[in-house]
Amino acid sequence: MAGIGKDRLHLAWLSSAEAQRFVEISSQVMKSIGEQGPFDANRFAMELNAAEATLNSETVRWLVGKEVKLLNRGDVYGRKWEKAKFEAILDNVLEREYHKHLIRQAIIEGHTSVRAIRDRIGLELKWISYLLADMEKTSMVEFKGHEHHVPVFGAL
Amino acid sequence: MENFEPKIVAFLCNWCAYAGADLAGVSRLQHPSFMRTVRVMCSGRVDPIFIIQALKNGCDGALVAG
Repeated sequence: MAGIGKDRLHLAWLSSAEAQRFVEISSQVMKSIGEQGPFDANRFAMELNAAEATLNSETVRWLVGKEVKLLNRGDVYGRKWEKAKFEAILDNVLEREYHKHLIRQAIIEGHTSVRAIRDRIGLELKWISYLLADMEKTSMVEFKGHEHHVPVFGAL
Repeated sequence: MENFEPKIVAFLCNWCAYAGADLAGVSRLQHPSFMRTVRVMCSGRVDPIFIIQALKNGCDGALVAG
């Protein structure tokens, strides 16, 4: 989602007896990363910061931590969640939180109006305004007033 | 990109991948050695934030093996 390059992360499962397999996997990873070239962290600073803040956010941590409970024992109303439903909600929450943090990072960078934020991160104006209203309630950003009739926001 | 040496951080599970890597070393198998390994007691211990921080701090890629 962040466009940082999911091919840079490799996952593998092996047992302690599979030395040969470990060698194969590590060579494969080296080859893949070698072909992708060096990673420029500065170019993706905004995305990395937003992704880190998203993973640290209360909603995401809470939801991930409750997965087993929601799936096996049910929520406070005793309803057991379907795995597909849980995953759909988690995807939704992740996207929303990531967009919110992306907006916050853009504001920190100095893009303080809705249009400037749109030009920086490329989301829809309507969606940005909607999220900004939400972010004001949770004290992630504040409304600072108007500059030439344009509403201006600050990050908290 | 002739001499590009990628910086790769590898999170290895103590009981599976780390032991596998150890065995690879003991049995003298040839393999690329510029991985930075971090031994964890379980690959479930690896928080996605670790990966983000690794990338932020100059790694080119990450491997989680368990």
